[in-house]
Amino acid sequence: MKLILLKDTDGKKEEAVFQEKILAEMKKENVQGKWQVVRVADMGIYNKGVAVKILPEGFTYTGLSLDDIPALVRTSIKEGRELGEKSYGLKDKQVKIVLRNCGRIDPENIESYLESGGYQGLKKVLLELKPEQAIEELKESGLRGRGGGGFPVWMKWQFARKPESAEKFIICNGDEGDPGAYMDRSVLEGDPHSVLEGMLTAGYLVGANKGYFYIRAEYPLAITRVQNAVEQARAYGLLGENILGSGFSFEVDIRLGAGAFVCGEETALIASVEGKRGYPSPRPPYPSVKGLWGKPTVINNVETLANIPVVFSRGGKWFSSIGSPTAKGTKVFALTGKIKNSGLVEVPMGITLREIIYDIGGGMLNSYDIKAVQTGGPSGGVISREYLDTPVDYENLQKLGSIMGSGGMIVIDESDCMVDLAKFYMNFCVDESCGKCAPCRIGTTQMLEYLDSVSKGKAREDDLPRLKKVAMAVKKASLCGLGQTSPNPVLSTLRYFEEEYLEHIREGKCRAGKCKDLLQYSILQDQCRKCGLCYRNCPVNAITGNNKQGYIIEREKCIKCGNCFDVCKFEAISRG
Amino acid sequence: MAKLTRSKLEEYGKKAPAKAGRALVRVGMSTCGIAAGAEEVYEALKGAVAQRNLDVDVRKCGCNGKCYAEPLVEVVSGGLPAVLYGKVDKRLALDIIDKHVINGELLNDHIYGIDEGKGE
Ligand SMILES: Cc1cc2nc3c(=O)[nH]c(=O)nc-3n(C[C@H](O)[C@H](O)[C@H](O)COP(=O)(O)O)c2cc1C
Ligand code: SF4
Ligand code: SF4
Ligand code: FES
Repeated sequence: MKLILLKDTDGKKEEAVFQEKILAEMKKENVQGKWQVVRVADMGIYNKGVAVKILPEGFTYTGLSLDDIPALVRTSIKEGRELGEKSYGLKDKQVKIVLRNCGRIDPENIESYLESGGYQGLKKVLLELKPEQAIEELKESGLRGRGGGGFPVWMKWQFARKPESAEKFIICNGDEGDPGAYMDRSVLEGDPHSVLEGMLTAGYLVGANKGYFYIRAEYPLAITRVQNAVEQARAYGLLGENILGSGFSFEVDIRLGAGAFVCGEETALIASVEGKRGYPSPRPPYPSVKGLWGKPTVINNVETLANIPVVFSRGGKWFSSIGSPTAKGTKVFALTGKIKNSGLVEVPMGITLREIIYDIGGGMLNSYDIKAVQTGGPSGGVISREYLDTPVDYENLQKLGSIMGSGGMIVIDESDCMVDLAKFYMNFCVDESCGKCAPCRIGTTQMLEYLDSVSKGKAREDDLPRLKKVAMAVKKASLCGLGQTSPNPVLSTLRYFEEEYLEHIREGKCRAGKCKDLLQYSILQDQCRKCGLCYRNCPVNAITGNNKQGYIIEREKCIKCGNCFDVCKFEAISRG
Repeated sequence: MAKLTRSKLEEYGKKAPAKAGRALVRVGMSTCGIAAGAEEVYEALKGAVAQRNLDVDVRKCGCNGKCYAEPLVEVVSGGLPAVLYGKVDKRLALDIIDKHVINGELLNDHIYGIDEGKGE
C-alpha cells in the first residue's frame, strides 16, 4: 500500500484542492496498485507551504503549487523516483530515549515493558558486567543528572559506592515542583518500569538494598501506576531477594510529597522522607556520603533514572554519540506558552532553541513575535530572542543567565510583560521559601516589593540598582538552591529587558498591557463607529451611552479586564 | 506468577518485535489525556470492538508528547504504518474502527503523525 499524505503547512487549508488534483492526475496517468491520498492534520513540517509525503518511500516535498502535481504524480507516485527540486531534506528532530515507551506500551502491564526490551539493561549489569565495568560504561555514556544540576551520574554513584555501610539508599526524586513542568509525571505515568529499572541498577552498583520513590501527592495517577509497577515487579521476582539469581536483593517504597517546592531539593526531600519537616540543610556533607538516616544515599531525578536502562542496553558509547560536547543524550522539555504545539518534546542536547520552537513546536501561537524563552522555571531565567541559535546544554544556558533546569520551557511573545513575568516567579518563591534562612525569607519579599512597585509605576530609577543588590545578596547568602536561584528571573529580565523596567518607571507604561495599574482604558471618540460592541461586552457595565451619542468608559467602575480593547474592531479603545 | 529467570528474560530480549495479524489501538491515557476526554474515547473503542466482534488489542498507554492534540489514538493494523489520530471524540473513535481498522482506510484531517518504524 502506498500512502500519499498531504498538508498545507501554512494553515491556508489548500489540502482539498490538491487532493483532487492529485487524484485526477493519478487517474490520467493510470496509476495502478493500492494507494490512498490522505489529508493529514499535522505532518511535523511548519510554514513551508503545501507539503506532500509519499510512503513507504518517504519522499517529502514542500512549497508545492498545483503546477508541480503532474510531474510529482508521474515521477514519484507512478515511477517511484524522487523529484529533485522541491524535496524537503529535514528529518524529525526529536530523539526518543527517555520517552521511548511513553504512548507505546501499556504502563500497567509489565509484559508490555518486557516485550519492548525492558529489564535487559538490568540483566546485563547484574549478570554480565563487573560493577567497575558498569560504572565505567556509565562514565563513557556521559550521562548527567536531569533534575537541574547536571551532576555526572557515574560520579555520584561512585561516591556512594565507596564508603562501607550496612545500609545505603536510592531515592527517585519525583517531586517536580517547577510550575509548568510535567515531564517526570508523564514518564512515571507512561513508563514506570523504566524508572524502577534505573533504581534497581543504581541499588546494585552502589550496594543499596532499599529505594524510595518520592512523588508529589498531586500526581495520583503516577502514584497508582508506580505502585502497580512495583507490585508486578515483585511478582516477577525483579524486586525482593536474590533478583535473577544474582544474589542482589532490593525493595522499594513510595513516599508522597505534600507539594512544597523546597521538598524537591535533595536535603529537604531526605528530611521529608525521614518524617521530619521538609527543611534543607547545608551541604557538605552530600547525600552520597551522609544522606537518608545518615547513610550514603543516591538521589536522582525521574528522567535521569529512565535513561539508565538505555545506557546499559545500548551501551555508553552509543549514548555518548548523541548530544553536545559537554552534554550527552537527550533532554525532555515541557514546551508551553505562546507556542502552537505545546507538549512534551525530547531533543538531543545541543539542539538550538530555534529548532525546538519552529521545527518541532510549529512556531508561534498568535501573530505576535517571539520575545524570549524561559527555561528552568523559578530557578531559571529568560533568554532573549537574539540567542535562539544557541545550542542547548547546561553550560550554554547558564552563560545566558538561565539554567537547563528540570525541563520547563515557556515561549514568551510581545504580548507578555517581563516585569510581570519576574513578579510571577518572585511571588512563587515568596510563597515557597521555607523560611529557614533569612536571605531567602526576607530577600525574596524585598525583591517582590520592588517588582510590585515597578509594575505599579511607583518605583524610582535608583530602585533598580538596589533590586540588583538584594538579588546578588540572596544569590550568595541563601542556604539552599531555592534561595540561591530565586533572583535568576529578576536578573535575567533586567539583563535583556531593562528598557521595559525603565519604561514602567519613567513613562508609567506597560507596552504589553499586562500591568493593570498602569492601564487606563478610554474610547477614542474620533475613531469610534458607535457599534456598541464594547458596551455589550463589558462585564461590569462600566461603559455607558448608546449608538446615537456614542460611548464612554466610567473610570471608577472599570476593572481593566481589557474586554473592550479586545472586541473593538476599529482600534477605537486606548489603554495607554 | 512465576518468577522471571535469566533465560526467560533472555527470551524476551530476542523476541522479534513484529507481531503480525492482530490490530493494536493505543489510547493515550495519562493525566492530560484523561483530562481531555480519553476515557470516553477508550470506552467507545472498546465498545465498538466488542459489538463488532473484532480481535483488536485496545491498549491504555501513556503520554506520547503531542499534548496539544489530545485525546490521542494510535492505530497499528493491516500492515500499515502506525497512524496517530488526534483530537479524537466518540464519533471519530467509531470511524477509526469502521474505516481504518476494518477497511484499512485512513481518515482525512485527523492524523497527527505517521510512524513507519513503530508498527510493533
Ligand atoms: C528548590 C529546589 C527544588 C528542586 N526540585 C527538584 C525536583 O522537583 N526534581 C528533581 O529531580 N530535582 C529537584 N531539585 C534538584 C535536587 O536537589 C537534586 O539535585 C536532584 O534531584 C538530583 O538528581 P539528578 O542528579 O538526577 O539531577 C531541586 C533543587 C532545588 C534547590
Ligand atoms: S467597540 Fe469600538 S467602535 Fe464599537 S462602540 Fe466600542 S469603541 Fe466604538
Ligand atoms: S476594561 Fe473591562 S471593565 Fe473596563 S471598560 Fe473595558 S470592558 Fe469594561
Ligand atoms: S500527557 Fe498526554 S500527550 Fe502528554
